[in-house]
Amino acid sequence: MADQSSRQGPAGARLTVDVEKRLPGLDLRVQLAVDSEILVLFGPSGAGKTTTLNLIAGLATPDAGSISLDDQVLLRKNRAGAALDVPARRRRIGYVFQQYALFPHLTALENVAYPLRSGRLGRRSPDAAPRARALLARMHMEHLALRYPHELSGGQQQRVAIARALAAEPRVLLLDEPFAALDSAVRERLQLDLAALQAEQRLVVIYVTHRLEDAFAIGHRLAILSDGQVQQIGRIDEVFRQPANSHVAQVMGLHNLFEARVLAVSPEHLLLDWDGLLVEAPPQAADVGAAVTAYIRPEDVKFLYPDRPLMGAVQHNQAAGVVLGQQASASFQRWRVLLSNGCEIEVRAPDHTYASLPLQAGQPVQVSLRKDAVVVLRPLLGVPL
Amino acid sequence: MNWDALRLSLQVTAVATLLIVVVGLPLALLLARRRFRGQTLLETLISLPLVLPPTVVGYYLLLFLGRNGPVVGWLDVQLLFTWGAAALASAIVGLPLLVLSARAAFAGVDRSLENAARTLGSSELEVLWRVTLPLARRGILAGLVLAAARALGEFGATLMVAGNIPGRTQTLPLAIYDAVQNRDYAQANAMVLAMTALAFLSLWAARRFERGGARPAEAGSGRSE
Repeated sequence: MADQSSRQGPAGARLTVDVEKRLPGLDLRVQLAVDSEILVLFGPSGAGKTTTLNLIAGLATPDAGSISLDDQVLLRKNRAGAALDVPARRRRIGYVFQQYALFPHLTALENVAYPLRSGRLGRRSPDAAPRARALLARMHMEHLALRYPHELSGGQQQRVAIARALAAEPRVLLLDEPFAALDSAVRERLQLDLAALQAEQRLVVIYVTHRLEDAFAIGHRLAILSDGQVQQIGRIDEVFRQPANSHVAQVMGLHNLFEARVLAVSPEHLLLDWDGLLVEAPPQAADVGAAVTAYIRPEDVKFLYPDRPLMGAVQHNQAAGVVLGQQASASFQRWRVLLSNGCEIEVRAPDHTYASLPLQAGQPVQVSLRKDAVVVLRPLLGVPL
Repeated sequence: MNWDALRLSLQVTAVATLLIVVVGLPLALLLARRRFRGQTLLETLISLPLVLPPTVVGYYLLLFLGRNGPVVGWLDVQLLFTWGAAALASAIVGLPLLVLSARAAFAGVDRSLENAARTLGSSELEVLWRVTLPLARRGILAGLVLAAARALGEFGATLMVAGNIPGRTQTLPLAIYDAVQNRDYAQANAMVLAMTALAFLSLWAARRFERGGARPAEAGSGRSE
């Protein structure tokens, strides 16, 4: 079945990128080969994710390197100068910006029709309006076609932005933190729609995010970008279970990964049993009794001061433990804590955060796992096998 | 009513405004988008007519257009004491008003919108025409109305370079001055009313135009939800 449908659909493409660019405080060196799939480009802020997209789109020029789409060279440049640099408007690379970047002086429909009236797709094609309408309908936005961007919600704006990018008939779609500002329900629906679009049009999709959950939600493959380098690229479960180096593990915040069982599901929370420790997670769909993998970033584990009243954010998920060790990095400190359930957890905080709290090895402590920050991973929904 | 003066005033203002747009918009775009050597010097020079007395601007123009100036020497064009000189003088004093306003408007256009247009297949010219100019429209229009009004009311520099020749270079402001000097208050009243009506109409039209296009333009600032 799957084979048949892929043969009928448009042919897939392959984007290869090998570029370097020196930026203030960062030497970017990115090598990627992306097929018709959703590649999630994950990394901390400042890792060079957006710059990478700009280089691919042709909005920025690398110091050296090459970019090609199938056998069409989009850029070839050595340090002496550009031998070939196809301008952004001819690259057939769609770009969905974090802040949507809809034209505020045009309606949703006119935004989507914009590329249809543009040079690349022929002058003023007469079917621009119906084609734009069809694309809006594809993104479930037809009923709001005549609204201006400021009359639309964030999710609606992003739907229009995606429809507009598709109107230019791109073969590659770049998305820069596309759903970062949206609430989780809206984000999930958009992710499903995006996944369907990618499959239907056999697009090469690069999806930049700093949220690991997004990788699990829609990514086929995951690339870890950190310090200007692609540290690891592979199937999500592979990267997740076997980080190529400690750098990747650290970037992914994988220290605090744990297996738990779902005890209860309610509109207020998801209650997990982590080897005897009760952990409250934000409400989401799950089966009671199911075994799930969850994690919490070390920054979201807080030490509690025994002599201070509890703030709202740390009231949940308290646990007793013993400090195993302390490690200082450039601007933050890390502690390893053995919890009462026999599992280890990592706590990370900027320097001086806990200056008045004794935290040397052997010290008994109370910690809190911030409820909103407990992430329950879905069992790799997006990964086709 | 001095119909010759009214006709001349409109003619001079129209040509001056055209000059201001043709020279001013590219200058404003350049100043808003590029950093280059001598930028501050250029900005200062453009703004100078705002603070100089019009007679000083007129005197410079007199040298520039005069017998020993480059316009006569190199181009062999005799502009002095024609309505063309009046248009040039009006353009120079009106120019900074457009450049300052349009420059701020261009600088306020979100660059990611222009980048979006590029990825959607637009050439640089098309980006300018379909994204940058429409989004900077209000600031450009506001600057244009001010510049045109300044050109319409130009008196000092015009008097220096174009003289006060009835029917040939005498614009409304000059004719009003003449009428008052000759105690011809009936004439002065009519012309003052005409000037006021012109100024009022242009401001009113600009406001109307702005309100008509206000809805989408407001979105640029109000992206909150």
